Amino acid sequence: MLFFNFSLQLFAVPEGKSGPQVIEMLTKRAIALGAVLSGSFIVDCETYSSTASLGAPRSVHLLHNSETPASVFALLEAASGNKTVALVADNLFDLLMLKLSNFYTAKKQTKIESRGPRFEAGDFLVKLGSVTMGPAFKGILVEVEYQACSLPAACWDLIREFMQGFLGGCVPSTPPPYIQVCSFFLLPSRFGDMLGTIDGINQYLEQFNAFRKTTGIR
Amino acid sequence: MADHSSKLDIVQATAALKSLRSLRNNVGTLFHSLTEGIGLQSGQDSKESRFVAELQQQLVTVQSGVKEFEEAINNVDSVQVNLGNSGHLNQDCTPDALNLYESLVTSYRWTDNLVEYSGYATTLLSQNALKRSTLIHAKRRRIQPSSQNVPPHTIDNVINSVCRSLGDNVKIETFRPYGSSTVLQITLGKIMKGIVVLKRLMVEWVVVKGATEDLIEDGKIDMWGESRYKVFRKVTENANAAMLHFYSPAYPELAIRSFLTWFNSYQSLFTSPCKKCGHHLHNLLPPTWRDLRTLDPYHEDCKP
Repeated sequence: MLFFNFSLQLFAVPEGKSGPQVIEMLTKRAIALGAVLSGSFIVDCETYSSTASLGAPRSVHLLHNSETPASVFALLEAASGNKTVALVADNLFDLLMLKLSNFYTAKKQTKIESRGPRFEAGDFLVKLGSVTMGPAFKGILVEVEYQACSLPAACWDLIREFMQGFLGGCVPSTPPPYIQVCSFFLLPSRFGDMLGTIDGINQYLEQFNAFRKTTGIR
Repeated sequence: MADHSSKLDIVQATAALKSLRSLRNNVGTLFHSLTEGIGLQSGQDSKESRFVAELQQQLVTVQSGVKEFEEAINNVDSVQVNLGNSGHLNQDCTPDALNLYESLVTSYRWTDNLVEYSGYATTLLSQNALKRSTLIHAKRRRIQPSSQNVPPHTIDNVINSVCRSLGDNVKIETFRPYGSSTVLQITLGKIMKGIVVLKRLMVEWVVVKGATEDLIEDGKIDMWGESRYKVFRKVTENANAAMLHFYSPAYPELAIRSFLTWFNSYQSLFTSPCKKCGHHLHNLLPPTWRDLRTLDPYHEDCKP
């Protein structure tokens, strides 16, 4: 079983610079920190909405992560509130979704993905992703994962120090909101929990949804 | 061991070397004048006879030098070390055995010197009573047989009492997969896990892995494989160093208690910054060293 503890960080694209330029700049900084390029990565998300026959409209987000290539993540938005129900399935789920086209239809022009180089630096994993929706460039997401520890409460300061090393001052002093949110009624927050693959996917979905809502580059 | 009569007599040896040197010198002069020859003005009788006379004189000097040297060498010939039957090695004619006897003699001399010097050292040290550690005291008292033969339930009791004193975040399980040796599986919260192999109450082997890594492989405890992550490989290295530091056969209970207390300080592996530089990361690693007394966290390069 693979565990993840990462922080997904939006890197604001400075004015007058293009996405590839920023990625190149961050790549240089990461390599200066001792990171070694190890392939590339892609996380994509496609959203389906339910047809009228199912009652109130609900969305299903289908995500793939190149880090876990044999899995498909399906996140169904719950009827109330902004909670989601997560399902981790095999690759075949993609084909099943096609069969369900009578109930769930793909929203047009909403396929969004983050892709770019993947680096290893000691026990850290750094992914510099350019987010594109269709043909349009939307912004840059930086994923930093500390593989040796999957307890955010224990290693958030460590990750923050690492991120500040190559992202500079834009790193907040508090963990990403997703990790702080109450996951269950009894547990104070995910901060004291072990994080799993699905938590990474949830963070991507949150960011992707925010990208979809904004027009232009974030 | 050789007695002192067979030792090299320095005075005699120096005299022999000196006479050898003068002999070589004389021979050198002789050959030199021989190569020079009679000279360009040869043909004159007086010169030739003078040359012969000179040569004769030099030969006499060489001869007396040889005699002198022979005498001197006779005085020092007791140096020969006789290693009994090993002397036959010298007669072995295979090329790779040629140097054997020589190196045997050399190492024999080394040991001989070592014994002599350590004898002097013991005398000197026993004159100055340096009682710096408790170990000397413990050694005199002789190691108690209890540390050599500890029944399993005593080990369990000791481990349990240590575990209780370390708090709720530590979980220690004991196994005995290979008979009498105890294997401890220590879980430090959600930070890391460790395997400690004991021989009686003494720590023999430590492996540290991440909280998400599996310690059990194919139904057996995997006590030889190392962690996937650099940070835990470093901690394993340091834990082995600490194991040697805390090793004390005279007080095995104290040793294991100190070791486990030290190990427990790794609860803060990712949370506490280095005591010296104040940062979390150095060379992309958190402070992986814990001071053996104060348990303060330090980076590998920031160690005091």
